[in-house]
Amino acid sequence: MASFNLTPVERGIMRCRHAGTFTPEEVQTLAVFLRDYRGKLLIDLTGSPVEECAKHIKHLRPMMPVAAIFGANLPPGVLDIDKSYYAHDVQSFDTEEEALTWLRNQ
Amino acid sequence: MKTQHALNTFVEETGGWVASQLEACTRCGICAEACHFYEATGNPEFAPVWKVELLRRTYEQRFTAGGKLKLALGIDRRITDDDITHWSKIVYEACTMCNKCAMVCPMGIQLGPIIHGVRTAMSNAGAVPEDLMAAVNKQVQEGSPLGATQAVWEQRIEWIADEWEVELPKDQKGAETLVVFTSIEIMKFPDNIAAIARILHKAGEKWTISSKGREVVNFGFYEGSTERTVLFMKRLFDAAQELGVKRIMVTECGHAYDALRWTAANMMDVPAGLEIVHIAGMLGEYVRSGRIKLKRGAFDDGVITFHDACKIQRRGSHIKEPREVLNILAPNSFKEMSPNKEQSICCGGGGGVIAIKEADPIRYAVFGLKMKQLQDIGATTVTMTCSNCRLQFTDSVQHFGLDVKVRGLSQMVAEALE
Repeated sequence: MASFNLTPVERGIMRCRHAGTFTPEEVQTLAVFLRDYRGKLLIDLTGSPVEECAKHIKHLRPMMPVAAIFGANLPPGVLDIDKSYYAHDVQSFDTEEEALTWLRNQ
Repeated sequence: MKTQHALNTFVEETGGWVASQLEACTRCGICAEACHFYEATGNPEFAPVWKVELLRRTYEQRFTAGGKLKLALGIDRRITDDDITHWSKIVYEACTMCNKCAMVCPMGIQLGPIIHGVRTAMSNAGAVPEDLMAAVNKQVQEGSPLGATQAVWEQRIEWIADEWEVELPKDQKGAETLVVFTSIEIMKFPDNIAAIARILHKAGEKWTISSKGREVVNFGFYEGSTERTVLFMKRLFDAAQELGVKRIMVTECGHAYDALRWTAANMMDVPAGLEIVHIAGMLGEYVRSGRIKLKRGAFDDGVITFHDACKIQRRGSHIKEPREVLNILAPNSFKEMSPNKEQSICCGGGGGVIAIKEADPIRYAVFGLKMKQLQDIGATTVTMTCSNCRLQFTDSVQHFGLDVKVRGLSQMVAEALE
């Protein structure tokens, strides 16, 4: 099974569900997707251990489009990034509803 | 106060070369038609000749009898702080230093370097846009304008090596080539780093990256500050000397290539015999010499076009090499935009413009010209050899909702390696 899957939520918003341990090929595929995708992203971390999420989210963060994350209690600072012109807003929420509401307003 | 610093700089800069350029200008205005900012907005203040107006006025008022007389009679007026603030916006937000204006000037006036001189005056006057200056300060303090601090750089290099399964030789004495990536690649396009690593290994290059000279982007050059431009270049030259390499290879940054290859020698002591090369040129060199072989037609799908970066293709003359590569990768799909090659228009994000939030509306307006070029040929993919251009394309394609893929040429080459 793939470690992540992508499903549409609504127009302009995709759900990216992290479902297991990443292989290098999957990291590469995800990096390409994050760079080329032109909408907003709802990142669902309910399906994988928090350590695995934190490890990869930290590195993938600079490539992310506007994104709302829910489903894991991420360590503080993992989403922190230097404020720069290339970086999009990414925030973490307790529930899917909160995440989606925020995302719709972006 | 601002004005005095700017005036002092203008006066210092006005040597024989600048004076001859200013005297040669006939105010014909042809440069305006070459400027993508003028063409996209119709704003006459964006005409290159107007961008150097403060320098010209200072020169006239200080060094010519006519200028002194006009001032004495009240026909002309002295430059004020408001002028400095106003021109700061013009030269930083509506100029990418692409120097296409110089290509069309019938008098051969090098407007780009002169506008750079105006930026130097603005820098000395403390009139640099806040966003740009923040990035400059970060590069001074952290070694990177985009947050690739030493720790972040180390972590990301390790991550790229692990996840893309490539060897990234670091701080290796005995290497011949010091490869310096941009922090845009480090932060945003890690696959480009992996791609370049694969190409270099395949080509048998003896190369290394350096933890001391790790940032090729030069925001001091965008700012126009000689002091900071030199500071950032010195970090690279010191790293190159420490490692004993024969050359520095600039990856995907146009301004850095300009700064290191041409500007450095006019600003500082450059290590003797150290060659400065760009990946765009090296890709062609590797293919010509047979050091790498590419799968013919690997990308023959849709319409693929190439965007010429101002500093790499027009300034650096690496025009043929990408086309030689693309004629192998996509012999049937490669199609030129028009105008192209040395006459190409800038993407609108260069010269630090993309770093200035306030410039976004103008930047997008300028990209509108590029968008039309893409649409005119029905491009499905656009490729390039500059990360800054690529960032502008990626952002603007999204902004305009275009169905065009944006790719780095090195990545295409790496994917087609035999």
